[in-house]
Amino acid sequence: MVHVVMATGFLLILIGFYGALTHRNLLRMIVAFTVADTGVNVVIVSVGHMRGRSAPILDRAVAAADAVQRIIDPVPQALVLTAIVIGVGVTALMLAYAWRIYRQHRTLDIARLTALKG
Amino acid sequence: MVINALHILATGLGAAFLTGLLDEKRNGLAFMITLGALAFMSAVSAGWLVLFAATGAHPMDIQTAGTPPPFAIALRMGLAEAALLTLINLAGLFAAMHMGETLLARGRRAMAVLLVMVMALCGLVLTRDLFNLFVFFELIVIATGGLVLLSDDERAVSAGFKYLIVSQFISVLLLVGIVFGYHATGTLNIDGMAEQGSGAFALAFFLILIAVAAELKPFPANGWALDIYESAHPGFAALFSAAAASAALFAFDKVLAIGGAEWLPVATGIGIVSFVAGNLLALPQTNDRRLLGYSSIAQSGLILVAIGQQDILGEHYLFIAGGLLLSHAVAKAGLYWLSGFVAGRELTDWAALRQRPLLVLAFVTGIAMLSGLPPFPGFYAKWELVHLLANEGRLALLGWILFGALVEAGYLFRWFGYAIKRESAHTIDCPPDRVIPVIAALLAGWALGFAWGELSGRSNLLLVLPLLFALAFLLLEWAPAWLKNTLAIGGLSLYFLQTWQDYDPLRLIFLVIFTLGGAIIFLASFHAHGRRIGFYPSAMTMFAGMVLLLQATDSFGFFAAWELLTIGSYFLILRGKESEPHALSYIVFSLGGAFLILAGFAIAAASVVTLAPSGAVSPAPTFEIASLATLAQPVAPWVFLLLAIGFMTKTAAIGLHIWLPGAHAEAETDVSPMVSGVLLKAGLYGLFVLLMSMGRQSLYGVDLVNLMLWIGAITALLGNLMAIFQEDAKRLLAYSSIGQMGYALFGLALMNHLGWLMALMFVINHYVYKSMLFLSVGGVAKRTGTRAMYQMGGLITLMPLSFIATLVGIIAMSGVPPLSGFGGRWIFYNAIMDADTRLPMVLIFLSGPIAFLYLFRLIHTIFLGQLKDEHRRLKEAPLSIVLPQMIYVAILIGVAIFPGLILRRVDAYISQFLPDGALNWEGLTITSQYGWWNPVAIMIVVACIFLLIFGWLLFVNRKAQKVKQFNIVFSAERPYRPETTHFAWNFFAPYKKAMGFLVQPFVTRFWGAITDLLHTAGDLGRRLYNGNGQIYAFHFLIFVVVVFVSQLGM
Amino acid sequence: MDFDWMKIPYAFLTVFIVVNYGFLMGALIQKIGARAGRRHGIPIWQYYLDVIKNYGLRTSITHGVMFYLGPVFRLSGGVGLLLFMPVIYGSYMFSNFSFAGDLILALYFVFFGTLGMALGAGESGHPHAAIGVTRGLQQVSMAELPFAMAVFSVALQYQTLSITEIVAAQQGGMMNWTLFTNPIAVAAAMLAFLGSMMRPPFDVFIAPQEIPIGPPTEYHSSYLALMQTNRAIFPVAKIVIYMNLFFGGAGSWPELFVKVFFLYLFSAFVGVCFPRFRVEQSIRFFLVWAVPLGVLSIMVV
Repeated sequence: MVHVVMATGFLLILIGFYGALTHRNLLRMIVAFTVADTGVNVVIVSVGHMRGRSAPILDRAVAAADAVQRIIDPVPQALVLTAIVIGVGVTALMLAYAWRIYRQHRTLDIARLTALKG
Repeated sequence: MVINALHILATGLGAAFLTGLLDEKRNGLAFMITLGALAFMSAVSAGWLVLFAATGAHPMDIQTAGTPPPFAIALRMGLAEAALLTLINLAGLFAAMHMGETLLARGRRAMAVLLVMVMALCGLVLTRDLFNLFVFFELIVIATGGLVLLSDDERAVSAGFKYLIVSQFISVLLLVGIVFGYHATGTLNIDGMAEQGSGAFALAFFLILIAVAAELKPFPANGWALDIYESAHPGFAALFSAAAASAALFAFDKVLAIGGAEWLPVATGIGIVSFVAGNLLALPQTNDRRLLGYSSIAQSGLILVAIGQQDILGEHYLFIAGGLLLSHAVAKAGLYWLSGFVAGRELTDWAALRQRPLLVLAFVTGIAMLSGLPPFPGFYAKWELVHLLANEGRLALLGWILFGALVEAGYLFRWFGYAIKRESAHTIDCPPDRVIPVIAALLAGWALGFAWGELSGRSNLLLVLPLLFALAFLLLEWAPAWLKNTLAIGGLSLYFLQTWQDYDPLRLIFLVIFTLGGAIIFLASFHAHGRRIGFYPSAMTMFAGMVLLLQATDSFGFFAAWELLTIGSYFLILRGKESEPHALSYIVFSLGGAFLILAGFAIAAASVVTLAPSGAVSPAPTFEIASLATLAQPVAPWVFLLLAIGFMTKTAAIGLHIWLPGAHAEAETDVSPMVSGVLLKAGLYGLFVLLMSMGRQSLYGVDLVNLMLWIGAITALLGNLMAIFQEDAKRLLAYSSIGQMGYALFGLALMNHLGWLMALMFVINHYVYKSMLFLSVGGVAKRTGTRAMYQMGGLITLMPLSFIATLVGIIAMSGVPPLSGFGGRWIFYNAIMDADTRLPMVLIFLSGPIAFLYLFRLIHTIFLGQLKDEHRRLKEAPLSIVLPQMIYVAILIGVAIFPGLILRRVDAYISQFLPDGALNWEGLTITSQYGWWNPVAIMIVVACIFLLIFGWLLFVNRKAQKVKQFNIVFSAERPYRPETTHFAWNFFAPYKKAMGFLVQPFVTRFWGAITDLLHTAGDLGRRLYNGNGQIYAFHFLIFVVVVFVSQLGM
Repeated sequence: MDFDWMKIPYAFLTVFIVVNYGFLMGALIQKIGARAGRRHGIPIWQYYLDVIKNYGLRTSITHGVMFYLGPVFRLSGGVGLLLFMPVIYGSYMFSNFSFAGDLILALYFVFFGTLGMALGAGESGHPHAAIGVTRGLQQVSMAELPFAMAVFSVALQYQTLSITEIVAAQQGGMMNWTLFTNPIAVAAAMLAFLGSMMRPPFDVFIAPQEIPIGPPTEYHSSYLALMQTNRAIFPVAKIVIYMNLFFGGAGSWPELFVKVFFLYLFSAFVGVCFPRFRVEQSIRFFLVWAVPLGVLSIMVV
């Protein structure tokens, strides 16, 4: 099960990379990146998963005393949360950029933004 | 008491939030908060730096959340961290100041982003947690994305987007790597991971490493970075290059520690490829900021090499990597801030800087720091690095580093030449908020130079008296030229008086030429009016370098002095009106030669040490010059070869000579004698030292000294031959110098007593007559406004003193008795009687009469023949230029009559090394084993015969009547136009027909082809960067794959 | 060897003998040359007449100081060259001022007169003078090369730079002459000799018959007379070097007269047989024929 999830995560990353490298439209590239980001998050979660354990929330279901044996590793979960936040931030920034580029150049084609080169 | 480092991060973050809370309109307040926060952060970091530097305390870990790792994020503060934080925060502070106008216009959000950026960079340095590292990286990405938009350049938007694309790829790899690393080790703490080693998660570690490496903008995965460098606001580009690159390098170093030694070659490989490629690609750039970007990539590559070599750098690691990193950061920040003053983006637009000498000083400081010239940290760091590499036998890497450094110096100095020589229509205004950052970088550069000098454990160049004296002239730039000139003469003379007793006779001769000889030439500098900004610091640096060269006993002092005199003379040569390309080729050749010397010293140091009697274990990166003698096979001949080529670059041996004619001919009137009469002797001194210590060496059965003999002979012949075809008087003299240096080289390579004496005689004579001739020709050129000899003619009556100087000069130079040149020839003939090889003599025999040809041409076409109409009212050259010439005339006659005054002491000194063949100086006659020579008798006999015949002619021809210029008849016509009557153009046409094949510009073409090749390579390389962000992403992926495959292969 | 005051009158005597010999021999050679061309030629005392006439001429102009000094340099060069050599082997009387220097002094002093002359002629402003000088210099620069190598070869052979010792080594019969002990060097030197004697085929720089070219162009009256005096001394002095180096020197004046005469005749002989080279042709001639001989001579010695 874990391996399937992990494989799915990597597949998403590859799909995202493929999309980002083949689509010339800025918005499509941004979407591709969010796909890849999701893939990364899935991979992280799958790495942190331990069979037969519960979520790392200390409440009535899991007592603090035996938490170490009962819950899965909370760190990847925390990482995923942070990564998602950062991913959102970057995506927002990219969208802002895309908007600004469109306003300036009236195009969303990455191949036409080559004023700087060499 | 220092403040907890967490406050640095807290301050940045807090101030960013605070500005966010402010009213939209209170931008001024927001800006004050920003500056205040950055200043506070800088102060805290500086406090830590002082603490660590003063007490040498151990790094301390700072725990967050009250828990040790792996349960919470840990930070670490140590010496390196404190230094970097100081750098980053100060860069942030000054960047904010520099961008003040923009920030105020854009409002508080921009300021908040800047604060976040600086804070994140600090965090990147401080954190010991891998995921935290990722977070800071992402914060930097976002902040960069924001700050890029501050630019006025519309293209910045697309550049920012390209950056975001690549950073997405990077962050995916990084994150995946981190999580698997965590999975394998159960910790996110870098030190915790390092303890367990990366063996268990090599692939994950590779992903982490490559992602962090990509933040260093390695070649070729760096197209996005170049676009940002080019289009961003220069204030931000400075931050991006100085602070962001430094922080990323530090992060890379931290991450690399996880992998351990087996991953070091990856760093080295990425580094050296980036260094060489970055520099090559910078070569064809014309946009200043893009060029700086390429240079940043290259410099990061160099530091990466140092990181990759940390296994052999040992305790010097921080000194080397830190020196390179801080030099680069300070210089690059300063240069980017400077670019904010320049309106145009072409390199040539920097000519506008000339309106502000202070900015020129900042510019040159930056360039010198980047090129690793003394007295800046890069110089010391390069010295150590090269020595340690040589010690480990990593010679290929060493070679590539020096090659890249040479290319870098090439384009940087070409740029500097543009700034000094080209014209710019723009004006420069200096608002204080922009000047302060530049001055801060300038001061930081010199302070770092001082600090690294202290840390080096060697003589701190900034505490060496001659150099301090030279640099003091920088502070005197407001003073009139005559005052500075008097000080310069006084300084040189005083130095001589104070130190002359410390030298052996051989060095004493060089000392006299370097100090008193220089002082005499400075007399001619009294002709200059105004303040002559830049002249005295440059000239005195050159002289300082030369006297330090004589003082130097160890390899470090020698090399430092060598670089100093090279730089000083470069600035001096660059002052000539048309000298831009020539000064460039001078500095490139000189630095190339200097690098060979450096390599030679490094290789020598590696094996001198193993021979040291004490059986010292740790390799000393410097050694006594004299211990070159103890070098053994197989190292010795290679060291000899490297050093010899290095020195021969300075003496312009054939093949390495093409810089000389232009450099000497285009220099100013009083500079030509300095660089020709005085400076060339430094190369000869080097060769003297080399041959005295190492003697004969042979490589693959080729006797290297014999090879030098041939080179000397060929140089003498071709130098003279090229001189006779020159139409430009100063070029003629310059080519003649090549020939004369060939003679001296030949004499040295004879490796017998008289050969060395002859070389020394050339040292003295060449100084005197070449200085004199350059001054005299310079004076004429000053009056006539041209250096083309065919445009002159008949000046003998108008400029009689210049004529007399030239006459005496050419008699002395051609070796005609009774003047001093004859002594040189006489010693030469006696020397070759003892020589083992005879064939090269043929070339020397031929070059003697050829010298006669160009000397006659010089004096005839300038002073004799027909006076031109436009010159009829000319006056004698200014007194200040004539006076030293008259001194030289007196010296020449004095040396001619009493050569023994100087030579017999040297003769005795040389006997230590080559006892056979010393001359006998009994009475007035100088006797060798083959013949004799009595200068006094010759002088008297010649004078008597001459006067007798002169008296007889006066008696029979006392009423000779002076006639007018055109009172001649030829071809049945009476001429009336001097232009058609003065025979001067193409003076030696038949010689060209018969011997012209020897002076085809093969060497020029060869070096031209090399530079073309480099430019073409650079030009092809830059086509990789076609501007498409997706292609840049491909570059990144290809980079990842290539590094991965090569790591597998290793 | 050192100076003593008696050397001064002896020196005058040497110069006197050589001047007279030079005048007579010069005229004789010219007469021989004329006869070879089936002309009658000049009387044997013609040179005396010329010199006396020129010293007596009253027309006299000058173009400037260097112009005035040119012939002085020229004659000083000739006289100095003569006096710096031991003319007669073994004779104290005619060793003159050879204590001042050895062979190298003599070789380099040759240029003293040439240089002064060239400068004087240059100041006249006459283009033909300058053209002549440059042609002469160019040709000499290459013609001197085989000679220099031959001298080096001889010096190596005898391991000395002293003229007296070189002559001493050749004593004791003709077979001891350098001519026979080192024939290659002598061959090279004799080709060089042709180049420096201002006779065809190497006389384009004075072109004596067709147009007035070369240094003497503007010189007249007493200047010319000085130069003519030098024309008597200088070739003799120069041939004395050759004689001493290659042909056993001379132990007495008659021996000197004979040897010098035949050496001079050699150049005249070649001169009447061959047409004139242009400058670049003569450079190539020396480069192709004489220089290899010179190189060979220093390699085999």
